[in-house]
Amino acid sequence: MEECGQSLWQEAWRDLRRRPLIRGCLGIIVCFFLVALYGEIVYRYYQIADRTPSYSQVNLSERYLPPSLFRHPFTKEGRLWAGVKALAYRPWGTDNLGRDVLQRTIQGTRIAFLVGVVTSLIAIPIGVLLGCISGYFGKGIDDLIVWLYSTIESIPGLLFILAISMVVGKGIMGVYLGIGLTTWVGLCRLLRAEVMKHRDRAYVMAARSLGYSSWRIIFRHILPNVFHIVIITFSLRFPAAIGTEVFMSFLGIGVQGEPSWGIMIGNARLRLWQGIWWEMAAVSAAILLVVLAFNLVGDALRDALDPRLRSKEK
Amino acid sequence: MTRFIIRRLLYTIPMVFGVILITFILFNVVGGSPASMALGKNVSPQALEEFDEQRGFNKPLLFGWWTSTRAFPEREFAEPITLLVGSNFTVPFLFPLRPDSRYRLKVEIRSKGTGARVRFLPGIWAALSDPAMDLSSHWQWGEFLFKTGTNSGAEPVLLSVEKGNIEFRRVQIERRMPHWSDSQLVHYFHTLARLDLGTSLMTNEKVTTMLKRGILPSLALTVPIFFGGLVLSVALALVCAYWRNRWPDRVFVFLAVALMSVNYLVWIILGQFFMAYKWHWFPIWGFESWDYLLLPVTIGILSGLGGNLRFYRTVILDEIYKDYVRTAFAKGMSPAGVLFRHVLPNAMIPIVTNTVIAIPFLYTGSLLLESFFGIPGLGGLSINAINSSDVEVVRGVVLVGAILYVVASLVTDLCYALVDPRVKLR
Repeated sequence: MEECGQSLWQEAWRDLRRRPLIRGCLGIIVCFFLVALYGEIVYRYYQIADRTPSYSQVNLSERYLPPSLFRHPFTKEGRLWAGVKALAYRPWGTDNLGRDVLQRTIQGTRIAFLVGVVTSLIAIPIGVLLGCISGYFGKGIDDLIVWLYSTIESIPGLLFILAISMVVGKGIMGVYLGIGLTTWVGLCRLLRAEVMKHRDRAYVMAARSLGYSSWRIIFRHILPNVFHIVIITFSLRFPAAIGTEVFMSFLGIGVQGEPSWGIMIGNARLRLWQGIWWEMAAVSAAILLVVLAFNLVGDALRDALDPRLRSKEK
Repeated sequence: MTRFIIRRLLYTIPMVFGVILITFILFNVVGGSPASMALGKNVSPQALEEFDEQRGFNKPLLFGWWTSTRAFPEREFAEPITLLVGSNFTVPFLFPLRPDSRYRLKVEIRSKGTGARVRFLPGIWAALSDPAMDLSSHWQWGEFLFKTGTNSGAEPVLLSVEKGNIEFRRVQIERRMPHWSDSQLVHYFHTLARLDLGTSLMTNEKVTTMLKRGILPSLALTVPIFFGGLVLSVALALVCAYWRNRWPDRVFVFLAVALMSVNYLVWIILGQFFMAYKWHWFPIWGFESWDYLLLPVTIGILSGLGGNLRFYRTVILDEIYKDYVRTAFAKGMSPAGVLFRHVLPNAMIPIVTNTVIAIPFLYTGSLLLESFFGIPGLGGLSINAINSSDVEVVRGVVLVGAILYVVASLVTDLCYALVDPRVKLR
């Protein structure tokens, strides 16, 4: 079984790597991940040094600097270092308080990835656990779980998320809980249906006749066979979570006091009318790239991993 | 058939119950009383208590005889307080207790040394339990019941040490409810049964009238978006299916993903900036005549187009690989004929399901579009309510939306059962 599983994954990986578009998207995701990691390091550095981070430092003498790579002319002494500094000094301009747009966008990337990962860590275990249990055991517990997720599903999604974070309190915790506690429903439903199909297969029968416990059968035998659903769900819910976080932070009930993309959009929106386009452009482009890359990779993963779809297409 | 209908009808009961329960857990159990949020910071505890009394927040959550009072919030001391023999502890009430009610004073107490004894002195009020209590040197709960008189007054309630020295570390006062089932949950069901969704914390207006006022502008915005988007995306999906896996299909699919990936906020901001402000195609803001709706509708359709197109394309492609399509091709029908005469009617089933099930969400309006374009609908209302933590309004919108969804899914299933003889519940 182990080998069979590996070959599916290997085949899928080969499929993905053959397509240049998907390779590009994977590259984009890796780049953004590294940027987010860099942002985290910078963030931690300022936290440990106990200073106002440079990306939130107000500098009124440098408001609305347009993007430019060579802001400072090259000087004679120390030419290389001066060149590097000239390149790196506010390359994407500054906002209304003279803060570096590029650095803020990087911090936004950090927050977006944090939200994507943490909400997945909340939603996916709930979805996997409930989906597997209800699909495998059926009967009363199945009824209960189906009731639970159909109830949650019937509540208008975005409002529900906003209501949860309103009750929990403004801040990134509300974002995590709001998104995490409501978005497991789709995964749970998919897994339940899939586990139901596997429940009476020969390998499960064999495991059962060997006297393995239900938990062992669910998590060691069935789950690896339906795990592609989890992967696909992850890659598609990640951009959705980012979008929701942007939305919430824009409304002011999301991240507080840190440069999230939503807060930057809210800030840039007011300046757009004065012709200050670069902050808006930076954030929009960053969101577009990340979300597009994740969506394309998610689609490709689904094509590669879902055997049902594959047999149909060929 | 009848059995199916009855079972399906019965199934809505736990669903509605679940929705009510979830909103209760969210707003009452987790959220707690919104009194301080609604009244501001500098109000007396008595005003808070009156607010709670009006909205039922001073009852026990699920059931029970005892409930806390704001006259004396439960207090836990980090360091136990020592009382020597002959001294008193006066319970400091923030406002007078209610007349003619039973109260219970609970103290976590122990004897310092051995053989201490305390006596509970409720002033002119009647003590209902044994006022004296012998203490051991272990922490224990002392409970003293008393009943307030006909006049509410700030009677001092004392704890006096008769013998030995004592220590106490936790004090609380609870009020006895007239009935154990007089709880927040029951109160909530009660108000809902009267079709009362409460009153707004900010404007003191009935939530039901606010919802009634907002629903028409919301529908004026969402219905055109919905049907426009539906027609456009099904048409494009047919185009994709017709040229599947060739360049028009690939271009459209890529465009769909790209459209989907543009953030909704960016759509609105750029749309408003360019189409209304820069190019003067549409009015920027307001809700005065139909042309004010044009821009939000356009943006709404555009932003939803990507996802819808992909969904309908998948639905149609699911049909295209079926045997009856091959048969139709084999007998020499033109591709367009097969697509419109055979595939589209069959694909309509999932499309219609998807459509009907999305209808209840039209009612909540579009959260962002409404606040950006100044349309006085339910979306803008919800956003304002969330920003000002107006719990009652948010709860009203969430509840009505969820119940509409339950009803819509009921209707869809019943229609299915009527139309499709294969459908049977389990």
